[in-house]
Amino acid sequence: MKCKVCTRKAVRKGYCERHVRAYENVTKNYVVWNKAAELPWREYLSEIAKNPVTGEWARDVAEYLSRTGEEPNVKAS
Amino acid sequence: MEKYTLVIAEKPDAAKRIAQALDVSQKPAIMHDKRVPYYSAKRDGEIVVVSALGHLYTITAAQKGRSHYPVFAFKWVPRYVAEKGASHVRAWLETISKLAKGAGVFVDACDYDIEGSLIGYSILKHACEGKDHEAKRMKYSTLTKEEIERAYDNLLPHLDFALIEAGRARHEVDWLYGINLTRALTTSANKTSTQYATLSTGRVQGPTLKFLAAREKSIRAFVPAPYWKVTAQVKIDGQAFGAEHGKRTIKTKEEADTILNSCKGRTGLVEKVVTKQFWQSSPLPFDLSALQNEAYNLFGYTPKRTANIAQHLYLDALISYPRTSSQELPHTIDYRAILRNLNRVPQYKQLTAELLARPELRPNEGEKHDPAHPAIYPTGNIPERTLEAPERNVLSLISRRFMAVFVEPSSIQSVKAYININDNRFFLGGRRVLKEGWLRFYAPFARTAEIALPPLKGGQTIPVKKVILERRFTRPPPRHNPCSLLRKMDQHEIGTKATRADIMQTLHDRKYIRDENIVVTDLGFEVLEVLEEYCPTVVSVRMTRELEHRMNRILAASEKREKILEEAVGILKPALEKIRENEKKIGEQLSNAVREARTEERAVASCPICKTGKLVILYSRKTGKRFVGCTNHFQGQCNTSFPLPQRGTIRVPKKSCSLCNWPTVQVIAKGRHPWTICLNPECPSRNGRRGKIEVQSMH
Repeated sequence: MKCKVCTRKAVRKGYCERHVRAYENVTKNYVVWNKAAELPWREYLSEIAKNPVTGEWARDVAEYLSRTGEEPNVKAS
Repeated sequence: MEKYTLVIAEKPDAAKRIAQALDVSQKPAIMHDKRVPYYSAKRDGEIVVVSALGHLYTITAAQKGRSHYPVFAFKWVPRYVAEKGASHVRAWLETISKLAKGAGVFVDACDYDIEGSLIGYSILKHACEGKDHEAKRMKYSTLTKEEIERAYDNLLPHLDFALIEAGRARHEVDWLYGINLTRALTTSANKTSTQYATLSTGRVQGPTLKFLAAREKSIRAFVPAPYWKVTAQVKIDGQAFGAEHGKRTIKTKEEADTILNSCKGRTGLVEKVVTKQFWQSSPLPFDLSALQNEAYNLFGYTPKRTANIAQHLYLDALISYPRTSSQELPHTIDYRAILRNLNRVPQYKQLTAELLARPELRPNEGEKHDPAHPAIYPTGNIPERTLEAPERNVLSLISRRFMAVFVEPSSIQSVKAYININDNRFFLGGRRVLKEGWLRFYAPFARTAEIALPPLKGGQTIPVKKVILERRFTRPPPRHNPCSLLRKMDQHEIGTKATRADIMQTLHDRKYIRDENIVVTDLGFEVLEVLEEYCPTVVSVRMTRELEHRMNRILAASEKREKILEEAVGILKPALEKIRENEKKIGEQLSNAVREARTEERAVASCPICKTGKLVILYSRKTGKRFVGCTNHFQGQCNTSFPLPQRGTIRVPKKSCSLCNWPTVQVIAKGRHPWTICLNPECPSRNGRRGKIEVQSMH
């Protein structure tokens, strides 16, 4: 199976070795963002996608999640 | 005919200095044989000094053929046999062999370290018909006349065979790793591709790439988190200062807003002022890594450049041997003589006079020890030629550091004022130098930013001009630069001080990494992933370090070269077998990466005209000239093209023009600073240049 974002082989959660780490960071950080600024998921994705310090792989994942509307598997407290 | 003493130096410049120092009149006769210079000096008898050109011998596979692997049988041969561009080495070796025939005594005067010992040994063994066992050894740390004479008068009775064995082990193990892994990767990639590519790796290259890739992964997968920072602008004695909120990072917007609102329109009250005094010890003498670090931080010189500059200064007898890991300046070095020499330099006159007036000179030394050489120090000699600016900088750095190590610590006072604004605590920090100590000697290289604060006391009220709320984001870990990578390699004990800078260069040359703030390319990732999957032991930092330790133990004769070689083969054999079994799969992965890397290298940006094509660097079939063209040209949809300079290397900085936002390219030409060209023919930057040219032509 191919990665949801690129053409590399998916290893976990539908992502390749490179993007799975970025995916985990994107979902994990939502909790921080939500607590800090009470942003809904989609707005959060757009915020990090346009942030210049966001890593390239994390941006790929954010754009993919934003495009597909895939929801995070984390509870925003 | 009376036999002479043959002295073998490592480099032509060193041979010249040695001959000058040993000749009674300091004017040795220079002679040439097949354009190879050598010197005849008169002392007690005749001394002939000839040089090598670094390594004249190298390792090659015992069997012919360039693409098969594994290759475990090897032999030492003259470099011209194994390397295409080394034909000049033949004349060099023939001259040495000829001179050896008339010699009665042999002296190895190559640099006293692993490489130098191996260079001298190989020449004595192979070009001088096995004179390695009767040759004597000259040991010196500077090329000054006094030290060369002292070293010649106190020759070591034989070569340092432990150093030689350690050198052989290093070269042989590195060769085994390099040749086998490079051939395995290259063969795999080229089996599935029509375009040839060399994919190299080595014993230290792999783990180094692994460090860099680990950092790169953290950066590429990084997601910033927001935080807020509140600063109160206060006015003290008519001067504005920014006082930071006690909580440097406020994690929620709500909390930040609460602080901001509660501070608005309030005045501040100085709760207390805490002053602390601390001592800053004088710096340690330079070892090579520390010098490379400092030169990078101060002048932006890469470690390789600094090592080269230092090597030139050493050959000019201006500094001691730079490839040292010592932080010690033993008392056998005549500090006062050096300071007296430095006293002739106008800008050091006052400082050296102060040091010379002291009854005792005791350097601040570090823990690192090098049995072969002390820390780097200046000789105090006056340069015999006009030094280039970078050479002057490095020499000045070494000279000032040498003086600073003898001076007492400097005393610094830090001040922290706690300011209460409506129950919110802010603070202001200041710093000043109370006693300069060594800082005065190390100026202008000392970094002590003073922050002056006006006198403050508890209970004092301070007007708050405004309170600023800033939203900030956490940052990814910084990219490695040549110096931080060097430190990392040093810290993990992989590679040697002499090879680390070259390893970085090789990673650049192979396009596994790019830029000064190092970025690992996709090709670098792919090569590393293949190595990690199929032969993790060869990229293991732990294994590499252990091998380094074992090779170092040869120096103490507690390890045998042959045993280490056996072990290296033991590590490589299964790794290579695994690569062989998966050649097709690996080949596809690597050749795809090479293809993508080549396309990526040529890609400039999206086409600003048709907006759908990509601008790439192309070559004209008719003229062979390069230019930038749109990929949609091949479908007949876009004719956009831009000319490029035909000389120099073109790099794509992936940054758009700051004036017009069009794509740019960078041109790197020999002897010039790199310059950036905006592709937009109407860009104001071009007008500026044209304007300047017009103005110039009017005068």
